[in-house]
Amino acid sequence: MEDGGDDGRRPQPVGSPGSVPRDLDRELDRLDDERMLDKLTRYWIDERNSPDILVWQGLVVEETLDKLQAQAEMVQKLQEDPRTSEEEHFRIVLIQTEAERVKFLVRSYLRTRLHKIEKYAAYIIQTPEMRGRLSVTELAHAQKYHALLTAHFHSSALSGLPESMRSLDDDEDESGRGTVTRPNKAQGLFIRARRRCPVSLPNGGILELEKGAIHLIPYEAIEALLRLGDVECL
Amino acid sequence: MFGDAATGLINEARHSKALDTLISYNDEMVRNVVREIRTLDADMETAFKENTDDIPDSPPSANVMCEINVYHASAHRNKRCLLAYLSYRIDRLKDSYWASGGALPHVLNDQDLRQKMSPHEVDFLRQYNALIMDYRSDVLDVLDVAGGLLSPPKDLYVQVRVVRDCGTIHTELGTIDFQKGQRFMIRRSDVEHLIVQGYLEPV
Repeated sequence: MEDGGDDGRRPQPVGSPGSVPRDLDRELDRLDDERMLDKLTRYWIDERNSPDILVWQGLVVEETLDKLQAQAEMVQKLQEDPRTSEEEHFRIVLIQTEAERVKFLVRSYLRTRLHKIEKYAAYIIQTPEMRGRLSVTELAHAQKYHALLTAHFHSSALSGLPESMRSLDDDEDESGRGTVTRPNKAQGLFIRARRRCPVSLPNGGILELEKGAIHLIPYEAIEALLRLGDVECL
Repeated sequence: MFGDAATGLINEARHSKALDTLISYNDEMVRNVVREIRTLDADMETAFKENTDDIPDSPPSANVMCEINVYHASAHRNKRCLLAYLSYRIDRLKDSYWASGGALPHVLNDQDLRQKMSPHEVDFLRQYNALIMDYRSDVLDVLDVAGGLLSPPKDLYVQVRVVRDCGTIHTELGTIDFQKGQRFMIRRSDVEHLIVQGYLEPV
């Protein structure tokens, strides 16, 4: 999606706000725009690759959705306007195509999370730290999904068992019989360092990551760095 | 032998995975496993009672503990297999649901698939669909979360051939009556779900 960086800027020639910002401000705005879609792309790649559910990037998603909506409205207005020139119509098609591509990104981001949320629903409900990483809608979904799945297990099989065995074994006991699926944090991940940073490895050693260096590393070692944005997934 | 039925369930799940198709819900085997668990539980109870009758409140001897342990472990193993079987099937059904772009009728009308599902599984899908509807409605004015995810769209429009009649569809440019054999150049986002469900085929 390298070509997607300037998505928010395109309609500006026709629909820019009345007050002209100072050059510096405009420059900053432009950078911010680029960063937003780049950020979204990075969060999407991180989410797709990491075994655990990452922190919900509500701000970026909301902003992207708002922009998409604003852009769709503007496109509609321009399409209905008879004064719109041939060249502008061509640009509209480009904008629409780009918007579809951004939508793909958001959709994939949401669906990746949804998949993990359903997979780890029981774990999320037990762990306050996990709950904090989800959006309100996602948390509600996790709870409802877990209830639904439990109900299904009960009606299909558990209700026929002796009373003492009807629970879902949500508690992990020493026999390791628990049925709660947890993310496998020892899984290896290809990462690239976005800035210079030290990593403490599971074996106790410390590895200094140079900016731009690519490593294969267990997820648990770079969990915090990923959250800070010091490293990104590939 | 203890656990044979449960192993059978696990094998069915494994075959299903290897063949990449859902195998009919094995109600009989599930019932057998449930029954076995109940028998094991009763045996455990009997073993415990028989051996502690003489001296109440005394801990059972090592022999009895060993016997009880075998029953206990077998019962729990069976239960675990049962849950694994059920949850494997649910995962598969959810995959079919998403593969059709979140169109529940499309999944339920698939007679081949429908026959293989247990009534509880049909219920599950119905309620799951309701949950997903809730989730989708949050952002539905801008994008549909259940849309296709195969690859990022390269073009706004797509040329399609109608493979199966699918009646009149409302699109951005008005209503279109899709009939088998026709070709259209059409906005991808309008008909993406029809492509996913196999009514249209990109040319």
